[in-house]
Amino acid sequence: MRYRVRHRTTYSYDEDVNDSLGIGHLVPRTLPWQQVTSYDVTVSPAPGDLSHDIDYYGNVATYFQVTEPHRKLEIEATSEVEVETAVYDDAALAVPWDRALPLRDPELPDAWRFTDFALPSALAEQTDEARLYAATSLVRGRPVGEAVSDLMHRINADFRYDKTATTVTSTVEDIFAKGAGVCQDFAHLTLACLRSHGLAARYVSGYLATQPPPGRERLVGADASHAWVGIWLPTTGEWLAIDPTNNQWADDRYVTVAWGRDYGDVPPVKGVIFTEAKKSTLRVSVDVAPV
Amino acid sequence: MTVLRDYAATISQPTLTNDDAEPARYDEVVNPDGSLRPAWKAMAELAVGLTPADLSRVDGDIERFLSDDGVTYARPGEGSGAWRLDPMPLVIDAASWTPLEIGLAQRAELLNEILLDLYGQQRLLSEGVLPPAVVFGHAGFTRVVARPSAIEPRPLVLCATDLGRDASGEWRVLGDRAQAPSGIGYAMENRRVISRVLPELYREAGLHRMEPYFWALRSALIQSAPGDLADPRVVVLSPGTHSETAYDQAFVASTLGFPLVQGSDLVVRDGWVWMKVPGNLRSDLRSRRLERVDVILRRVDSAWSDPLELRGDSQLGVAGLVEAVRRGRVRVVNGLGSGVLENPGLLPFMPAMCEALLGEPLRLASAPTWWCGDAGSLDHVLDHLDSLTIRPIDGEPLSIARVGRVELRERLLAEPHRYVGQERLALSQAPTWHPARFGEGRATPKPVTLRTFTLRYGSAYRPLVGGLANVYENVEGGGLSTSSKDVWVLKAGAGDADQGLTDVLPMTSARSVSVMVPRILEDMFWFGRYAERAEDLLRLVLAAHALSEDFRTRPRSTGGASLEVMMGAVHVLAGRRREDLDEEFRSLLLDPHRAGSVAQALTGLRDALLGVRDQLSLDTWRAFGATDRAAEALEASSHSHQIAESAGRMLTGILSLQGVTASMIRDPGWHMIGAGRALERAIQLSHLLRATTTVRRGIDVDREVLNAVLLASESAVTHRRRYRGYVRPGGVLELLLMDDENPRSLAFALTEAREHLAALPASTGSTRPERLLEDLIAELEGADIAALVAIGGVGRPNLETFLDTFRAQLVRLAEAVADLHFASGPAPRPLHAMSLVELTEGAGEPA
Repeated sequence: MRYRVRHRTTYSYDEDVNDSLGIGHLVPRTLPWQQVTSYDVTVSPAPGDLSHDIDYYGNVATYFQVTEPHRKLEIEATSEVEVETAVYDDAALAVPWDRALPLRDPELPDAWRFTDFALPSALAEQTDEARLYAATSLVRGRPVGEAVSDLMHRINADFRYDKTATTVTSTVEDIFAKGAGVCQDFAHLTLACLRSHGLAARYVSGYLATQPPPGRERLVGADASHAWVGIWLPTTGEWLAIDPTNNQWADDRYVTVAWGRDYGDVPPVKGVIFTEAKKSTLRVSVDVAPV
Repeated sequence: MTVLRDYAATISQPTLTNDDAEPARYDEVVNPDGSLRPAWKAMAELAVGLTPADLSRVDGDIERFLSDDGVTYARPGEGSGAWRLDPMPLVIDAASWTPLEIGLAQRAELLNEILLDLYGQQRLLSEGVLPPAVVFGHAGFTRVVARPSAIEPRPLVLCATDLGRDASGEWRVLGDRAQAPSGIGYAMENRRVISRVLPELYREAGLHRMEPYFWALRSALIQSAPGDLADPRVVVLSPGTHSETAYDQAFVASTLGFPLVQGSDLVVRDGWVWMKVPGNLRSDLRSRRLERVDVILRRVDSAWSDPLELRGDSQLGVAGLVEAVRRGRVRVVNGLGSGVLENPGLLPFMPAMCEALLGEPLRLASAPTWWCGDAGSLDHVLDHLDSLTIRPIDGEPLSIARVGRVELRERLLAEPHRYVGQERLALSQAPTWHPARFGEGRATPKPVTLRTFTLRYGSAYRPLVGGLANVYENVEGGGLSTSSKDVWVLKAGAGDADQGLTDVLPMTSARSVSVMVPRILEDMFWFGRYAERAEDLLRLVLAAHALSEDFRTRPRSTGGASLEVMMGAVHVLAGRRREDLDEEFRSLLLDPHRAGSVAQALTGLRDALLGVRDQLSLDTWRAFGATDRAAEALEASSHSHQIAESAGRMLTGILSLQGVTASMIRDPGWHMIGAGRALERAIQLSHLLRATTTVRRGIDVDREVLNAVLLASESAVTHRRRYRGYVRPGGVLELLLMDDENPRSLAFALTEAREHLAALPASTGSTRPERLLEDLIAELEGADIAALVAIGGVGRPNLETFLDTFRAQLVRLAEAVADLHFASGPAPRPLHAMSLVELTEGAGEPA
């Protein structure tokens, strides 16, 4: 599938902001199953400084600074991408999950590198609760593809999607307590479950193209900034991408932007502002239009 | 008996008890047979001759010197306290130093190579030399600076290593400090003090002086600037005056002649780092004068250095610093991310890494350490929980007593890669002076460790020939150091160059280039205000106390009534706490928590001075030496006369600050002190007059009160000369309000404030503070004494109104000064930290 993605983030303040610095993870990655034919990130008011760089995980990170006083800051990222559904090696999926643990088997190819994704991270703490919950799915010797899919089904069935349940600072413990969350929470929960058993798993940030209800126009802006999880398959070096929020493996509707240990490594936009303003309003609009 | 003989006798005596708990330690001074170690031989005669009386005197001198220099150290979880230094140095001879020096140079080279590898190719990890969890699981591994684009090598410039001797006397590494090592300032201060208190011994010893090392450090920092700059700007970034080692930071900054700044003094623009300097400060950045910064010697930990890309809640860093670093536009020393080397998990792998990176064997062994991420090591640690120190790879040791055995085991098993077990060395011991409350003090053996410093100078690493020794009461409990020692490394030959540095140029200027960032101007302003406030309060207390000595038992006398008036003036400022007069005076002088007290003004003064410590003469701190000792004397004595005695000595201390400011360069900071002092004097004076002269209490009482007012406003002598002792309200008010020749008058203070304000860089002649001040001067000039003292009912209503409005306007003026000169803009805030109304449309809905 070919998409034109437009992602607009708008901050409005009740007083002047003199200085805004920001980091964005907004440009999709080029991958074996994903081609990026063009991209652009614009900031308004015009930034004094804007640059793109490749970060530690290979994502495009955009840095910008606006030094002109403003009450509205708008960051708009547009890109054209072509996505295919990733196809995984059957044998790689059939490897028992407990033979895919980089800390236990440092001799696995690239295990050293992906140890980073098997260790706890700030937003995906490896709680006892997560470990016990995952143990039901991660039965010794079970093929990794099957085991993590089972975990995905259970999380999807046991947890509610609820935008009011959590905040950006919610922990894995909060998610268990509420039994609900948004896509980011579903991803962090899945990461905690998998990593507490030693699997290498990464947080993937991107977009999901939505289909309009039958007989209705596709609504601009109704698409989503989304998050899911990739699991390392050591024999081929592939990463099985699963979406616990929607109970499915990621396919050609998923546009991959960036990955890291958790949301904290790859928020679409984060920033620091210098202002006396007390209130700000954030508006995010995403449009993934098939072309 | 002399101290060392006594000590040697104790050490060489075979212990009668069969106590296995106390390990055999290597003694730094005495051989097992009771003779002196070779290092002490050269100065044996002098050293052995020291009697308890000598050392007792020296110990007292040290305490006084450190107090006069204002040397402080904040132990974790405590407020700032006095730095402690033992009189007896740790002495190391040239022969035993040389292998240590070679080992330290190799270690710095190795740490540097490890750092470059971890932030670059990561061959140590991919080739299996170092387990990746030691790095990826460490909070100091800073991914935002580990980017392929940032390939320029940024070596370690200054690192520190802590060492201890094992029972055989071999030095072993306990740990490394690589991101912002502290202590070199304390080491230099220790040397300065010891050389003054033990001059004969110091001369006799033939040791390496430390100054050239600071010259080399200065030169290394300048040369680490990016690109090829003729005159790079170097700053020392401090987390602020409440940091544990604030003294050390200010010392280093002022010794090297680099400005000491805080995060809020710096901004990033266009990917460069700039220092805010006063000029026409308007709220938008474009109109602000900025000076580029090329090198930052940082004393702020990486995690706190940039709220944009590191900890978002940090107010200590500079937003955008990481980006400036990645672009190579500023050099941070040591680089962001070097904290990953402060990692005991690296210790077991050092020999292998040394072979892999340098192709040679590691020279300095570490204290035996087991990384629990390795299954065999984990078993060993679990089997020896009691005898090992358990440390997270990036945190403080966990004590089994505090955490509990079961909990500790669980933690190790849950995340083994996060922990190490480290063998506790039977550290060497050194004689440490213990003053005795009664009789003679003596030296007792205490465990010591050695902090060393290594600098990249040119293309090689050079250890400081010397260091900082820490003394412990009980090192087994992982206790904190209780005192320090100067470290003397002796020269092999008298002609050896100090520090082995022959090519380094002495520094031309030792004093910091004064940099007037708004924060510094603010501290200078409060320096002036608090110094004046403390002085005026002390004079008021002295005047009231003098009355109380004569009249406290005769409340109905004229003196008794005027005492009540003067105490009323005190109470307006500081409230009323105690009924008993003496207790009230003591509280006014000593209670720092009492609003309006002398002690509080002194605390405020000290805080303001600490913020600009690098810009001030060392003499500054003598003022506090004097006030602290006066306070101690008052606490120790219950006599009433001690109140006046101590208040008088405090006043002498405060007045000595006038001498400090007299010798300061006439820059904006100096003018700010002057402006603060003049405004505070005007405010205090209008307050005093308002509380004492606006109500009439009969001629005799009024005269007594006026006399006390003249005393409290340091104008009694002038008044006597002008008015031949004839005390009446008109004359006193003329002298204190209008007389522009009386430096204690309101008119004089305002004129002085005008001169100082005019000299500030942001002043134009028509700024708000200047306009407010002109209005006040005009109002004062237009006032008529006869009209002011006019009587109406029981008081002087005109005077009352005049003083009330005048004081209110003075306070407004002080606020306007702050708004114009100190405003450095709002603090940085992460976007999500605001009260956020989030209007996300359809984000992450299930499809």
